[in-house]
Amino acid sequence: MQFEIRQKPDFALARIQFDAPGEQLLVEASAMVAHDGGLAMETQMQGGLLGAAKRKLLGGESVFQNTFTATAPGQSLWVAPGADGDMEQVILNGGYDVMLQSGAFIASVPSVSLDTQWAGAKGFFSGNGLFLLRASGHGPLFFGTYGGIHAVDVGPNGYICDTGHIIGFTSGLQYNVRKLGGLKNLFLSGEGLVAEFRGQGRLWISTRNATGLAAFLQPFRPRKSN
Amino acid sequence: MNINVLYRPGMAMAKVELQHGEAIRAEAGAMIGMSTSLNMQTGMTGGLGGGLKRMFGGESFFQNTYTAHNGPGEVLLAHSLPGDIEVMEIPQSGLFIQSTSYIASHPAVNVATEVGGFKNWFGGEGLFVLRATASGPGQSVVFGAFGGIQMLPCDGSLLIDNGHLVAWDTTLTHSLVKSGSGFISSFLSGEGLAFRFQGRGRIWIQTRNPKEFGQSIASRLPPV
Repeated sequence: MQFEIRQKPDFALARIQFDAPGEQLLVEASAMVAHDGGLAMETQMQGGLLGAAKRKLLGGESVFQNTFTATAPGQSLWVAPGADGDMEQVILNGGYDVMLQSGAFIASVPSVSLDTQWAGAKGFFSGNGLFLLRASGHGPLFFGTYGGIHAVDVGPNGYICDTGHIIGFTSGLQYNVRKLGGLKNLFLSGEGLVAEFRGQGRLWISTRNATGLAAFLQPFRPRKSN
Repeated sequence: MNINVLYRPGMAMAKVELQHGEAIRAEAGAMIGMSTSLNMQTGMTGGLGGGLKRMFGGESFFQNTYTAHNGPGEVLLAHSLPGDIEVMEIPQSGLFIQSTSYIASHPAVNVATEVGGFKNWFGGEGLFVLRATASGPGQSVVFGAFGGIQMLPCDGSLLIDNGHLVAWDTTLTHSLVKSGSGFISSFLSGEGLAFRFQGRGRIWIQTRNPKEFGQSIASRLPPV
């Protein structure tokens, strides 16, 4: 399987080309842009009804995902996120897992298993849902966001990220949600809560935040006439 | 201090690298990530009066100062709309910045909120504009735009649509004008009001108009 991501960071599009018949890619229901007519597509609830319902309700992903199977060498598939923004790929090697914010998942190979994981009460306070998607196993994983994707290799000193900008991180990192500075700063700084990451691993940050865009648009909405 | 703009132009982010003891002052809400060696202080720059003026000018009441207090560090800054970010060394004569475009500045830069007069109020840019003045060379201001940023040199006179204006040299004089020949024609042409700049200097525009975008999307949403 070969792949490349084009048109980064504004309108990223990934092209995946299969080397051999039987190779497969699991794609989030709305992420498919185009595919070779010879590819076989099967729509299914990954992990059965319960697994799919859990993913939908808890992780914000679709109930249904599509599996594309190559029937001949050289067939291609194009996938993209919904919003204007970036995409990134990781090749899992079993050494670490990737935790993704709900809605960031785009595609993966069947040898990557996806599970919705309770992010704990700290997830609740971070305003990003209580659950994270945990990708483990071997092979490529694709994810995307509104905004550009900025990778930070977190070392012994840790790193701080605004909770609304976290896309994902590797399992070598732990985080704590806290306020930045004193109590005064929480209410007055406009920065709200941050996640402080510790450990060794990679953190992916989005340079934009869909909530910020929605907040910009809100005052322009028409008023109900009485 | 070293400031690099990455992911240009659509999803731009300013990466500010600070040496131990250096600081940067940023608009509230602009920080998306930072080193643990930085310390954030929230304050009313310019006192209560400054805070109030900023608030009316479309910025936040409080500003945050990020200081590298435990070795070097970095802070990542961005705004919420898709678009570019520019880092500008402030010329000796100073720089005017549209208040909603301001992101950050060197802590020694004086950012004063000025009453722009009725011309700005009617121009849709708010009643206030920011005048950034440096106390020495090498002091920068960071501003963001919706869309790309284009510098237009002015030598004589130049008209800029009010929604596209971002920053300009204080060597220029500005006044509000109707872009059409009469009221009806400016209303019907959809161009409305514009700023007429005169003199010699530089003007930075944003290639998209935020208000235009807001209206075109939000008019399709259910009323509130």
